[in-house]
Amino acid sequence: MTPGFNRRRAIKATLGSLLGSGVGQCAAATTTGPSSEITVWAWDVNFNAAVMQDAAKRYAAKHPGFSVKVVDMAKSDLEQKLQIALASGVSRSLPDIVLIEDYNAPKYLRSFRGAFEPLSGRVNHAGFAKYKVDLMTVDGKVYGIPFDTGVTALYYRKDILASAGFAEKDLEGITWDRYIEIGKAVVAATNKKMICINPFDNGLLRAMVQSGGRWYFDKDGKLDIRGNPALRATLDIQARMVKAGIIKPSTNWAEWVGAINRGDVATVVAGPWVTASIKAEKKQSGLWGVVPMPSLGVPGAVNVSNDGGSSWYVLSSSKSKAQAVDFLGQVFANDLQFYQEILLSRGAMGSLLAARSGPAYSAPDAFFGGARIWQQLSDYVSKVPSVNYGAFTAEAGAAVNAQLPALMRGTSTDKVIDAIHTQLASQVR
Amino acid sequence: MASVTARARTLNINGWAFVVPALALIAAFAIYPILTSIWMALHAGQGAEATFVGFGNFVRLWSDPMFYQALTNTFIFLLVQVPIMIGLALVMASCLNMPSLRWRGLLRTALFLPCVTSLVAYSVLFRSMFSYDGIANAVLLQLGIVSEPVPWLTDPYWAKVVVMIALTWRWTGYNMIFYLAAMQNADKSIYEASRVDGISSFDRMVFITIPMLKPVILFTTVTSTIGTLQLFDEVMSITQGGPADGTLTLSLYIYNLSFKFMPDFGYAAAVSYVIAGLVAVLAAVQFLATRERTR
Repeated sequence: MTPGFNRRRAIKATLGSLLGSGVGQCAAATTTGPSSEITVWAWDVNFNAAVMQDAAKRYAAKHPGFSVKVVDMAKSDLEQKLQIALASGVSRSLPDIVLIEDYNAPKYLRSFRGAFEPLSGRVNHAGFAKYKVDLMTVDGKVYGIPFDTGVTALYYRKDILASAGFAEKDLEGITWDRYIEIGKAVVAATNKKMICINPFDNGLLRAMVQSGGRWYFDKDGKLDIRGNPALRATLDIQARMVKAGIIKPSTNWAEWVGAINRGDVATVVAGPWVTASIKAEKKQSGLWGVVPMPSLGVPGAVNVSNDGGSSWYVLSSSKSKAQAVDFLGQVFANDLQFYQEILLSRGAMGSLLAARSGPAYSAPDAFFGGARIWQQLSDYVSKVPSVNYGAFTAEAGAAVNAQLPALMRGTSTDKVIDAIHTQLASQVR
Repeated sequence: MASVTARARTLNINGWAFVVPALALIAAFAIYPILTSIWMALHAGQGAEATFVGFGNFVRLWSDPMFYQALTNTFIFLLVQVPIMIGLALVMASCLNMPSLRWRGLLRTALFLPCVTSLVAYSVLFRSMFSYDGIANAVLLQLGIVSEPVPWLTDPYWAKVVVMIALTWRWTGYNMIFYLAAMQNADKSIYEASRVDGISSFDRMVFITIPMLKPVILFTTVTSTIGTLQLFDEVMSITQGGPADGTLTLSLYIYNLSFKFMPDFGYAAAVSYVIAGLVAVLAAVQFLATRERTR
């Protein structure tokens, strides 16, 4: 045995230290049991996250010791993070409650069966707008609590349209073709564009297709691209809007809101969530009005649609799911006063139909010249066409986006529709 | 006995004790994932419900328009951006190698700095610089080079240009350092002889410098090829695959298949093997093209 280095002792020491550190880490990693704090994932710190905090305060008033931790992140980050966590099967990293946008809900509900807690029977869904409840129903079970509605309307700048010679009645109940004509006149008279569109985000496109009562997929989830008059009309109208030169392009959310706030555009077609962004520019107070969105002009098309909107879902892996379900049911499904408050403070329009008759909904809004816009918007909610979003919204969006430049360059709509169908058919399995 | 037999070497516990931890890590983090991904590539299905399909994924690849779009884009980046970048790096290294250059250290640092900047930070800056109202358009309009703002990020063609500019800005300095090091190790007497012989500096560059740097150039082109074939960071951060999939690359397609669309991990694994195959083929081609031919 050499005096300086003893091999046996060295091996024992190494193994011992490895074991020790392993055990130490195991001890540190064990969870400390179910906590009474509910973790919620949401996006939009000023809107969704803030509303969730308000809801938590109301519930905590009756159930002391209840607290909510809202983790705020960008919407696309949340979607990818949720998908990764669900796919990996590691439930430790999942929250108790998660906010999911309505277009994506079917994807998660169908790909990851058993990951979400069914709420039928524990929460009364009859009071919510039907189209919201339908999209969270799989195999007859309802899985979430509907939150805000994306019911679309046409927000317009009264002053810009007045300089071009148009008043509110000229915008009510119009078709998109008429909208394009008005747009051309506005651009000629005021040098401002009519609308800002982000080609990366096809929220407006989706809203237009849904306003025709159709979607990329039919009620059974099969491809509905060819022979879909709503989609055809939407693509035609988009091409004509570009040719008419009434669109200001933007590449992301900040630019889109900036165009509205700077007064570069005369109108916005979006859901009620855009009210908060419009109101961010206080100098424009009193200059905005709200009318129904234009119609596609095909049989079955209406002046109402949905752009966005999301709902709360409870994860089955949550250790506090009973309390989470009770919390959501008490506040979001029953508390009418809550809906009045979040409307006034956050501009959040919920989908609970009974809340429409509350005082906040019929209050005049000074920013819109005293018009009762919330009453208007909530009247539209019950008219939103109900469609089956299917589980492949992301693929459909990608397929349509891929063909938009060809459409703008003048390729015939038939060829574009064929290309979309081919691409989507290979993606949808 | 001073020499150790082969058998004794194999049974030498000391050697194994040193090597086993590293082997274990490589097996766990490299070999096991590779084997699993081969197994995964033979399955298809949504999320956790994957069924065995044999080569079905590769058959599906054959007729997938989005895959071809990604492949085309990746090759456009490869064939246009890499030669420009290598050429620029050679020129810059050659300039920096001039003995009469002042502030050489500063210039070298300035040219190398882009490749150590934060990826997300520079992507965000590029996005805002090339936006419709951004500084790039402002400068071009001011100088009168264009009469209308260029739709950098909303047009598939210009989005590719922006990504190429970003890649070149970031990676030229990195390649330049390799060439500079090789040039500074070169024997100066060759250049003296060429000057005596009256060879022009352009010919010097093409016929002396470049052949001398052949091994380094081969190394940088192979690594640039591999990097471009796996391009993900810039296209994800600046254009998210670009307008109309104009900057969609193979790696970004894999990401979309796994985390954006309905998750089909088997198909994504199959696409990743296409990338691996392409890398192997292109690297082999480059080695073959530059091998020393013995007469």
